[in-house]
Amino acid sequence: MPPDVTEHVAKPTPRTVFLRTFIPWQLWRFLLINLRMLGIIRASHK
Amino acid sequence: MSHVVVLGAGVSGHTAAAFLRKWLGREHTVTVVSPKDTYNWIPSNIWVGVGHMRREQVVFPLRPVYERAGIEFVQGAARAVHPEGDAQDATPFVMVEPSARPGTREKVRYDYLVNATGPQLRFDRTPGLGPHGGHSYSVCTEDHAVEASRALDESVARMQRGERQQFVVGVGHGTCTCEGAAFEYIVNLEFTLRARGVRDKADITWLTNEYELGDFGMGGMHFRTGGYVQPSSAFNASLFAERGIKWVTRAHPREVEPSRVHYETVDGVTDSLPFDFAMLLPPFSGVGLEAFDRDGQDITARLFQPNSFMTVDADYTAKAYDAWSPQDWPRTYQSPAYRNVFAAGIAFAPPHAISKPYTTPSGALVAPAPPRTGMPSAMIGKAVAHSIVDMIRGANGPTHMASMAEMGAACVASAGASVLRGTAASMTVFPIIPDFERYPDYGRDLDRTFGEIGLAGHWIKLILHHLFLYKARLRPGWSLIPE
Ligand SMILES: Cc1cc2nc3c(=O)[nH]c(=O)nc-3n(C[C@H](O)[C@H](O)[C@H](O)COP(=O)(O)OP(=O)(O)OC[C@H]3O[C@@H](n4cnc5c(N)ncnc54)[C@H](O)[C@@H]3O)c2cc1C
Repeated sequence: MPPDVTEHVAKPTPRTVFLRTFIPWQLWRFLLINLRMLGIIRASHK
Repeated sequence: MSHVVVLGAGVSGHTAAAFLRKWLGREHTVTVVSPKDTYNWIPSNIWVGVGHMRREQVVFPLRPVYERAGIEFVQGAARAVHPEGDAQDATPFVMVEPSARPGTREKVRYDYLVNATGPQLRFDRTPGLGPHGGHSYSVCTEDHAVEASRALDESVARMQRGERQQFVVGVGHGTCTCEGAAFEYIVNLEFTLRARGVRDKADITWLTNEYELGDFGMGGMHFRTGGYVQPSSAFNASLFAERGIKWVTRAHPREVEPSRVHYETVDGVTDSLPFDFAMLLPPFSGVGLEAFDRDGQDITARLFQPNSFMTVDADYTAKAYDAWSPQDWPRTYQSPAYRNVFAAGIAFAPPHAISKPYTTPSGALVAPAPPRTGMPSAMIGKAVAHSIVDMIRGANGPTHMASMAEMGAACVASAGASVLRGTAASMTVFPIIPDFERYPDYGRDLDRTFGEIGLAGHWIKLILHHLFLYKARLRPGWSLIPE
């Protein structure tokens, strides 16, 4: 087995983990991510 | 009247055929040649492979769609291209092996040809790899995914009886591409095991040819987060650490035995991982099309690279890794040998690797091949369709470009499927091919390259699943949905 490679990396805080599925925050992120993706699509279709 | 033939009904070929049909008058014919009469939305195979979706949810019959749209369909596999026709008739044609009559051949004549045949899954490159007589599973096709899901159910049943199970997920060869798909599978697997209440009985390991985690065959990415510019390796490592997934990087898997995968690494480690369940992707090549001139002489080398992907308007000059440039990448996807032949999606030969290639001390290549994901594949298909339409109307050459060095990609990697508890990594990258002249620090525009994990990503992934299937069914307004 490989050595425990997971030891020396950054892990999310409980707050970050909570926000990842906290619906009001995620609704906001949903909007922002969609806008970002639309930006990419627009830039790529030039 | 012109006859356009599209080989392949995947993301790229289906997009090309649909736009050709939409833009060309009815006096012209559009024909799709493909061995299966179904369309598979491949990205959702991940969810089939963990039992979250059924096969029928990711596949639909193509014939009714093509009938409605006015696209001719030939069910069969293209075997050879005859771009000069034959001694009797100079009209070019493709030699097709009809699916209903294996071993026979049928000529399909064309004026313009789009090769969108995607990859051949080369399980044969690693002994014991793959579901066809090997010992590992795959999710590359809908049927592979169904098989993987059944095997996963068996492992879960064992864990429910108290047994421990070892899972290995990743690549089955040092030159694999599509690490992103395997990444999605491993995090979905972990999520599923948690949802089924058996996570404590599972050891999960990621086995990859990436030099660092998060390379994805694109040399990794950088994101701005928390006041730092972070490499995607940190992003992936953090997710794996959080999920208790271990990893082995820089590896070339050499052999898959019934319950053990042997590998060697760039750093000179030779080792093996035991497993009860392994999902390891195969390396890709082109589908092995041949080409012949008018007199029947073999001209395959004029149309295809040695890896069987099609030669297009790229710079294939052999160069050191550091000497390549974004301008080497193709723009029109036209064959330099025949002006009426194009390749789209995975079928075109990339000019070089994006990730730095390495070799193991024994000489095995560890070089993630460049990915050609859904968005660029569809955009290339559309650009090629546009060029062909213009050429039919009199343009001298291709009029539309879709260079991967000038386009970005948006990708949502599922990390667990549930409408309230699921997550996905939403990522965008611009441009796909790093450009260190325009973006000297990281090769990419950091304002347009980002990554974030959350439930919103899962919603987007789910919406995209339905949206792209709607689009592929050519339902009203399909062409308004972006690629
Ligand atoms: C498991 C998995 C998950 C993925 N997830 C994502 C994702 O989340 N996002 C994303 O952007 N991309 C994803 N991808 C990549 C995406 O699926 C590809 O980019 C895309 O399918 C490429 O399109 P294509 O048309 O070039 O090839 P394909 O979609 O593979 O289509 C090739 C077509 O050619 C046909 N064909 C094969 N041989 C012949 C022949 N001899 N003659 C005629 N036809 C032939 C095939 O039957 C098929 O219809 C994933 C890939 C995999 C394997």
